Amino acid sequence: MKVKEDYLREIKERAEKALNKKAPLGPDVDLNEFYLCSSQEEVDSVESISASLREAALYAGVELEENKSSATYLQVDRSAVYQKIQDAFQGKLEIMAVSEALEKYPELLEYWWGLVPVDADKYTAFSEICPMEGYFIRVFAHQKIEVPLQACLLLSEESRIQSVHNLVILEEGAEANLITGCASVRGNESGVHIGVSEFYLGDNSRLTFTMVHNWGENFHVRPRTVVKMGNNSFYSNTYVLLKPLSSLQTFPQAIMEGENADANFQSIVFAKGDSYIDVGSSLLLKGGGCRGNSISRVCAADSSKVYTRGKLISYHDEAQAHLECKGILFSQRAEIISIPELEVHGAPRSRLSHEAAVGPIEEEAVNYLRSRGLSREESLSLITRGFLNIDIPGIPAVLKQYIDEVIRLTSRDIM
Amino acid sequence: MLEIKELGVRVGGEEVLQDVNLEIGPGEVHILLGPNGAGKTTLLMAIMGMPGYEVTRGDILFQGESILPLTVEERAKMGIGMAFQKMPVIPGVKLRTLGEIIVNGGSSLIEEVAEKLNCTYLLERSIGLGFSGGEAKRAELFQLFLQRPLLSLIDEPESGVDLDNIALIGKALSELLEREQVKTKKRSGLIITHTGYILEYLNADVGHVLMEGRIVCRGNPRDLFVDIREKGYQECLRCER
Repeated sequence: MKVKEDYLREIKERAEKALNKKAPLGPDVDLNEFYLCSSQEEVDSVESISASLREAALYAGVELEENKSSATYLQVDRSAVYQKIQDAFQGKLEIMAVSEALEKYPELLEYWWGLVPVDADKYTAFSEICPMEGYFIRVFAHQKIEVPLQACLLLSEESRIQSVHNLVILEEGAEANLITGCASVRGNESGVHIGVSEFYLGDNSRLTFTMVHNWGENFHVRPRTVVKMGNNSFYSNTYVLLKPLSSLQTFPQAIMEGENADANFQSIVFAKGDSYIDVGSSLLLKGGGCRGNSISRVCAADSSKVYTRGKLISYHDEAQAHLECKGILFSQRAEIISIPELEVHGAPRSRLSHEAAVGPIEEEAVNYLRSRGLSREESLSLITRGFLNIDIPGIPAVLKQYIDEVIRLTSRDIM
Repeated sequence: MLEIKELGVRVGGEEVLQDVNLEIGPGEVHILLGPNGAGKTTLLMAIMGMPGYEVTRGDILFQGESILPLTVEERAKMGIGMAFQKMPVIPGVKLRTLGEIIVNGGSSLIEEVAEKLNCTYLLERSIGLGFSGGEAKRAELFQLFLQRPLLSLIDEPESGVDLDNIALIGKALSELLEREQVKTKKRSGLIITHTGYILEYLNADVGHVLMEGRIVCRGNPRDLFVDIREKGYQECLRCER
């Protein structure tokens, strides 16, 4: 085990040196323009959560009700205000504030900043220098948790920075479905959310991770996610953003070290207003038989600008993966820039492919629906919802319904 | 129910129909024949009011009122429905979803009609995506059944369809257009057919031959078919009965 003090000192030093290091992608955010967010009172039951927080959670796809999940973690600003494991799941998993977990299990330091470099950029560095909680989830070996786990991260104050660091561990043979909703509380229009997430998937484990964002119009959001995958593990990552914000940049990566690992990333984005969005995913295929998909569906309206990236890197002959980006532009002022990258290093038999298409909605389809009695606006909305409705492999029906519902709810006023 | 007077229609700058006159009474089913490129689909599209089909002269009356000022969806709401020759692909929009929109909510009618048209397995699929010829035709009729239009415009219901499915489609059309009912017929239809197979299952009242942008012949649909099989369409131009 790493010597705790030495390790913590080392990462702290690296973070301090990187505090002004601009990220290679996305517009630079001056973090000095924002205040640190405050602590909030803990609540002892789900009923005690205020209506405004409940509403904010719901718009990020998290229903804060008893028995809606196997376990729940709710963070408001910098405090874990509610955490609970339903009785039926006691002993099968753990969910708690990450600071509590690090104190309880010192050996977790092995995982802390083990995947995301603390000095990757100013945002990761800030997260280390000004830690503001985050969730720790561990699913014990061979436990298969079908009922989704929920984690909700809310920001209730104006012009603040929230920087969380999440740690998820699925032990060998464990299975779980995690829904994460990140949102600002209504009326809070400006702020910064930094989310470092490190996920460790043991051999034969399965994790579906669904993240819905719903921020105020002047928010800057910088998630930093890396997933390490063991033999025969499965990971599905679905990211949904349908509301305007100032800027978002994220480029999660799956490091597929084990053999036959299977990673699938889906980004579903509807960019509106002046949103600057830079999304994508990267698959590092190292083990034999590794496979995966990086898929994005992007709609750009108003004056929004969307970069959609995908990067497949193969180091193994038996690896194969596919990249797909489809986009629709709704306005003369909107932009979509699709950047696919395929890299093969000394593995001539690996198979990597990509397809990209940016085009308008087919008028033929619009008129067809109109002939069934739908107005032009209703037709456009239905086609758009369909376009965003990706067939996601390997996710349970309940989660599929959940994503459909999020798209349906949040896209009601899409046009 | 439908009255078309001296209709001219332009598509992509070209005059496809010049002077079409056609009248369909309540409860009547008419067949539209004609060689390829005669403008049969154009006529149906113009009645439906599809964009790109520009009426240059004449009028279309539905239940006594001109529908030319109305949009496609307004015509649909008035009771005009169309089964298209070619179904577009709409990724992610399930046939069931569209069905629910048409009947305004989930309904046992959807299951019932889908079963009748052997479409149950298509309900969860995206509209048109990977549909075979027969599947697309059945899915079109499924929607028409849910719409229950007063006037059904049906473009080549049997093209690209195997014989088993032609029987299914023919019987379904007969039911849709209430051909078995003796006294209470009120739904009308205008059907384009090339092969005439559909007439085996559907008792049509009148046949029209469309050529060179106008109706050149009217008569009993079966008789017209026999004549055209024997003598070809050119004879229709000479005969003009």
